[in-house]
Amino acid sequence: MKTYLADYVTLILVAVVLALMPLGLGGSAYYLRLATLMLIYMAYAVAFNIIFGHTRQLFLCVGALAGCSAYISVVLVMKMSLSAWASIPVGILSAAVLGGVFSYVSVRRGLGVIFVGIVTLVSSMIFHNLILGLRQWTNGETGIETKGLGPALLAPGLGSYYAILGVLMASLVLYHLLMRSRAGAAFRAIADDELAAELAGIDVTMYKVLAATVGSALIGAIGAIYAYYGGFINPTVYGFVNVDIAVLVTLLLGGMGTMLGPVIGGVLFTILDEIVRPLGRINVLVYGVLMVLLVISFRHGLVALLRKLTGARIP
Amino acid sequence: MIAILFDGIVQGLQLSLMAVGITLIFGLGGVLNLAHGQFAVVGGIAAALLIEAGVYAPLACALGMLSAGVLGLVVDRTLLVPAYRSAGEERLLLGLLITLGLSFVVNGYLDFKYADISLTLNLATPSFNVGGITIRTASAVAALIAIVAFVLLFAFLKGTLLGKVIRSIIQNEVGAGLCGINPGRIRTVIVIMSAMMAALGGITQGLFSSLGTEMGNELTSYALIVTVVGGVRSINGTLAAGVLLGIVNAFASYYVGAYLTLIILLGTAALTILLRPEGLFAHRT
Repeated sequence: MKTYLADYVTLILVAVVLALMPLGLGGSAYYLRLATLMLIYMAYAVAFNIIFGHTRQLFLCVGALAGCSAYISVVLVMKMSLSAWASIPVGILSAAVLGGVFSYVSVRRGLGVIFVGIVTLVSSMIFHNLILGLRQWTNGETGIETKGLGPALLAPGLGSYYAILGVLMASLVLYHLLMRSRAGAAFRAIADDELAAELAGIDVTMYKVLAATVGSALIGAIGAIYAYYGGFINPTVYGFVNVDIAVLVTLLLGGMGTMLGPVIGGVLFTILDEIVRPLGRINVLVYGVLMVLLVISFRHGLVALLRKLTGARIP
Repeated sequence: MIAILFDGIVQGLQLSLMAVGITLIFGLGGVLNLAHGQFAVVGGIAAALLIEAGVYAPLACALGMLSAGVLGLVVDRTLLVPAYRSAGEERLLLGLLITLGLSFVVNGYLDFKYADISLTLNLATPSFNVGGITIRTASAVAALIAIVAFVLLFAFLKGTLLGKVIRSIIQNEVGAGLCGINPGRIRTVIVIMSAMMAALGGITQGLFSSLGTEMGNELTSYALIVTVVGGVRSINGTLAAGVLLGIVNAFASYYVGAYLTLIILLGTAALTILLRPEGLFAHRT
């Protein structure tokens, strides 16, 4: 019988440290915003971890799924005068359905990791073009101001920090519950060897679709929340470089298939981003170099390194 | 009508020039090169810099191609080594992520260093008449270059021993290895060749309009669409798909506008993967 003590301790530690963080920021609005964005990227990475880290489905459409949910929610609020509370679930549902369908179709067609990557990448581009093209709803490249549309809770400030921290903790708890259930065992088996898992009687299709749906729903939720928090959305906000690459680097830095990985990765990525930002245009170069280096020599991430160094069981 | 068709074919040939490189590298190395457009841009920008420095234009273009080839060599011998060392899904994944990272490195560097450099090649006579149809010289030259390049490529693949070796690796890497073929060597040759062909595609782009530093991703995505529709392991298929999509692109841009055209092309690629992952024209390599 496996005990989950390490998981609980980690969850509580993460919650306490992140909850105390605004105290250390000395009331600076800039750093509070940075910290909130960090939480958002951590949450994206948790969701992406479920999809890619555990069931090896390379979804290169994190930004597109988040954006899809965000735009649906915002447009519903603007054009149908729905409340944000009613429209966010619609956005989440649409992201979940999209992710589930991608996954179902690709598993059914027996697509390898590369084809899933291409299909989702192509879908990202379609999404981007649709947003640019459906100008009457989305305002094209100009984007939409979302200030005052969303729940007051999500307006920038300490309140939104804790609200988003709540979402991050909820997704980490969801992750924990998922991993300790039958599904978690199935995910581990699939990540090790898909064929063997299938032969052992695991319904690979079902679990892959489950992972993709849950992950996409989370991505959709975060995308919609970010839309109201950020005060402004346009295609670039949910673009490939801004979301997918950032999330991929975050997850690779922290460690795929681990609970703590997205959190540590998020901290490192945010610090790094702050260092690189003043360099201006060259930051794309730095991300590229970082990504290549990570993929080549640091594929298992920081959590794996810490495990090796300390010998402790870090979830 | 005929003018649009001709434009489409020329554009298609140009796309194929880039796409065939992706097909070759994927077929041989099992690496889906997401930095392929960047090869084209590097070649083009190198040519532009040389022209600016006063080098005779055709020579500058040749040197531009060469520089893309050198970049291909370096990438193949350094960055892609970890990918080649692993096998199966792992190699595909590593290759994809490494080249994706590389595309950002190249983009970031070019955008940082040469932001306002672009390649524009002007020909002496802008257009000429054939049988009552006005043809832009640029189109004719681009078509000619692409056709010559493809004839050379096919002659190389079908006619020479090295070509036969390459086709054998595409069909079965392990089998080829058992026959005493060293896939690593051949792979390097192919990556260099593909990079140079991509650069050629990029340089011909400079004949029509201009090739800027930011165009890498756009070129990669077009080439990727062509590769996917043609079948990632089929060279003939890639050529056919390139011409077909070029024609579709030209007509669709004319009738329904650029925005829907791109969606049509992307949709075609997505549907091809879902319905016929081996590609529309994948009968023989």
